[in-house]
Amino acid sequence: MAQTKRLISFAIVNFLVIFLVSLKAPANPLKLDVKEHVLGNGLKLLMLEKHEVPIVCLRINFRVGSVDERPGITGVSHLFEHMMFKGTKIFGTKDYAAEKPLLEKEDTLVAEIAWETGKETRDNEKIAALEKALETTREKLRDLAVKDEIFSLYLRHGAVELNAATSSDGTFYICNIPANKLELWAFIESDRMKNRVLREFYSERDVVMEERRTRTETSPFGALIEQLNAVTFIAHPYRWPTIGWSSDILNITKAETAGYFEQYYTPNNAVIVMVGNFKQDDAIKLIEKYFGDIPRQSDPPKVKTAEPEQKGERRIEVEFDSNPYMAISYHISGIDHPDIYALDVLSTLLSDGRTSRLYKSMIEGKRIAVMANAGIGVGRFPETFTFYAAPRAPHTVEEVEAAFYEEIELLKTKPPSEWELQKIKNQLEAGFIRRLESASGLASEIGHYEIISDWKFINTFLEKVSEVTAEDVTRVAKKYLIKKNRTVAMLVKKENGENAK
Amino acid sequence: MSIKIYQHLIICVVCFVGVFSINNFRTLRAEHQKEVHPSSGEPKSEGSRILSKFKFAPLGFNPPKAERLELDNGVILYLLENHDLPIINVTARIRTGAIYEPAEKAGLASLTGDVMRSGGTVSMPPDKMNEELEFIAASVETSIGRESGGASLSVLKKDMDKGLRIFADVLRNPAFPEDKIRMEKDEAIESIRRENDRPQQIAGREFRKMLYESNHPYSRRVDGTLESIEKITRNDMIAFHKKFFRPNNIIIGISGDFDRKAMIKKLNEIFKGWEKGKNIIPDIPKVKYELNKSVNYVYKDISQANVIMGHLGIHRRSPDYFPIEIMNFILGGGGFNARITSRIRSDEGLAYSAFSSFQTSQDLGMFYVMCQTKLESTHRAISIALEEIERMRATPVDNEELTHAKETFLNQFVFRFTTSASIVAQMVDIEYEGLPLDYLETYVNNIQAVSAEDIKRVAQKHLHPDKISILVVGNKDKFDKPLDTFGKVNEVLLEQPPEISSKNAKNKAE
Repeated sequence: MAQTKRLISFAIVNFLVIFLVSLKAPANPLKLDVKEHVLGNGLKLLMLEKHEVPIVCLRINFRVGSVDERPGITGVSHLFEHMMFKGTKIFGTKDYAAEKPLLEKEDTLVAEIAWETGKETRDNEKIAALEKALETTREKLRDLAVKDEIFSLYLRHGAVELNAATSSDGTFYICNIPANKLELWAFIESDRMKNRVLREFYSERDVVMEERRTRTETSPFGALIEQLNAVTFIAHPYRWPTIGWSSDILNITKAETAGYFEQYYTPNNAVIVMVGNFKQDDAIKLIEKYFGDIPRQSDPPKVKTAEPEQKGERRIEVEFDSNPYMAISYHISGIDHPDIYALDVLSTLLSDGRTSRLYKSMIEGKRIAVMANAGIGVGRFPETFTFYAAPRAPHTVEEVEAAFYEEIELLKTKPPSEWELQKIKNQLEAGFIRRLESASGLASEIGHYEIISDWKFINTFLEKVSEVTAEDVTRVAKKYLIKKNRTVAMLVKKENGENAK
Repeated sequence: MSIKIYQHLIICVVCFVGVFSINNFRTLRAEHQKEVHPSSGEPKSEGSRILSKFKFAPLGFNPPKAERLELDNGVILYLLENHDLPIINVTARIRTGAIYEPAEKAGLASLTGDVMRSGGTVSMPPDKMNEELEFIAASVETSIGRESGGASLSVLKKDMDKGLRIFADVLRNPAFPEDKIRMEKDEAIESIRRENDRPQQIAGREFRKMLYESNHPYSRRVDGTLESIEKITRNDMIAFHKKFFRPNNIIIGISGDFDRKAMIKKLNEIFKGWEKGKNIIPDIPKVKYELNKSVNYVYKDISQANVIMGHLGIHRRSPDYFPIEIMNFILGGGGFNARITSRIRSDEGLAYSAFSSFQTSQDLGMFYVMCQTKLESTHRAISIALEEIERMRATPVDNEELTHAKETFLNQFVFRFTTSASIVAQMVDIEYEGLPLDYLETYVNNIQAVSAEDIKRVAQKHLHPDKISILVVGNKDKFDKPLDTFGKVNEVLLEQPPEISSKNAKNKAE
């Protein structure tokens, strides 16, 4: 099922395999040969040359995600990511000088309308007049705009996978471009960091609201996971959805969004990743030329709230017009804790492939589910180990829950076999080699780990996982997968009070 | 390392999703020598003025070409050696599909494709096969879709022989054990039972029924129905497999770290004794090109309307294919700047996803516009899409839009060649679809030849807003205007899947 798809992330290397890879790989054969360069303003550049095809895969990532938000502005990181496509003082407009006062007028009118509409006794005439003035202002703005110009320029110059993404931990700007267009990218991206303009803000807020409706409000699994997170975390900001709560999306102001940019979109909070056909020396010169003059700023605020230890099992129900789903989450340690490697082995053991334990026991054996998975979360802060499933009728979420516990208890009492551990290591090695094929995949991976921790995590991961023993797996199962530490969420069919009309 | 799907649920600024899966053969952008640089008209912004002075060096890229050959038993083979990494990738397409199964046994092809792999072979039971493959980090997969079957192998070089042996065994000698047939049937049934949970799935399924005559296989679900699945027997599957999985009915592409001669020898060995089939491909009725205007509505109590609207389109080998590709890019296929997307999403903020598509197949495919918008703007979004379709027919596209579209296609060309596996897979697809084998070499000329007049001609021929079928899934109580302003509304009632047992009816029991 579509829901079982996972974001493929990192894996591993052992000495022998890396040796094979090294026949073609430069310099140090045991590691991804990423070169670092840090600009005076703190902007970090990570480079990996790969010359087979004349393309360069580029990422600009900022260490800011929904985890940096607060109630009232949840979703602002993601909304801002959308706004970055709306242009700058020199892109997206025919004349910024003429546009600027109109944008300010638009904001004032929007605020006045909100104020008037919120009054106890509404002055409808006044509201109508304000709305008319707003429409006139917007018409003038439309005449001055060059619609979606950044997106259009990139496409026309051959960019693919042009996109941006936001998660709880980071914001990622994605662009793969023919190698001869590298300077065009540097020019546009540095301008986005220096001169962004929040135009078409209000319509884009509506677009995001529609995105929320598609992803969460009309999607049973999306709805379940949002509720699960909100209960699994009671204090830490992982509790709110990256897309934001509806009331926040609808009411975030332009000033709040702009303020957010000032704090977090600084060169000292950003990393550029380049993988592909370029020369490092040229790349450094290019990045210095375009990004070097952006002033360093004070470090963005730190997330202070830590999730307190869970004091007992939590259970929730989500009613939805859908067949059932269920999920169970357990708090685990963060990426800097050595247990993370044994937990990773544990999740692979449970749910990767047809020989995995959950597949064999729940899909193939008992046949009570059509989807049954386990996954480990790693982020900037301690995350969860999560099980999720779709039961197969007439089997119930309760049966699926019991089957998960059975598998967990088995892990606690009987260590995994040598064969299972070796299989996992073989797959991690092969997975590493396969990922070397894709410049785009490598750029994403390097950038992702740099945001949540350090890209070098990639180069130590294999060794660390190779050291994981059967006893380690049992030990982490006993330590984390316990009743007191879990949250159970069930999506159940909404009673149809109102039938088809 | 596996990252769980939701905390890191990454949400993106663009997400164009299709709901139809038949032969998602993507356009190839081929240009081997020529460099194309944007030669836009007058730059509109200061940024564009600065960029217009940039000089770009030529890319100078000659993509490697896959070699085509035919084995004695009729297998068509594409080979491309690449010794950068110690891996080998095999992709195959088999001429078969759900269109060749009888209506009363709908789902037969799909089940056959699944159980071929999950059921193991005569000499290797499924558990053993799974263990053997997963221990060496290899994968063998098979599937059968509406108009094509697929098989793949990915394996490390050191395990090549073992991988190829299992791959050939799965193609030739699947065991179809009863227990695995039951399991796959039950999974298909659960998937059908869950279909009404997601509005987009409802929209895709019902729209297909509206466009194609009910007796044509294009109107059916590939997965079958709750009734038809139960009618499928093991013997049906064995016969279906035997008919189509013949060497003269398969195209195989192999890329990676192998020696050409040794590979051919190996293939002859593993396919030894595999006999050609005769009269493999049955005739199926032609799709009748008949467009009927209709307005259709499915009630679902959700906060967002799912809109899909369109009519029959073109088949993959249509002479109008290239102008249509460019036209659709301008109309609603080309991202933020496409007309429908720009107006519905960017101008008015009515939708996150709004796009148009010409889905092509062996016979006539579908043209459709899709969007999800809040209930209160349903009518507005549909009206905008209709206006834009009409405008495409009435007014020639301007030069700027046309140039933008063509340059995008041409400059993105290089990304069609990023891996050996993708180069080989493209050739397998070209051969399968019956396109000219010099398709990549002629592609650039074909794109460059498209004129504004061509676009107007194909728009008038292939876009028919007056005979369009509109389908909305949502709650009409909150629509901005009633749907009957577009025509008489036909309400489609969803069939509720029967409860499998009373035990399941209330799973809230605590």
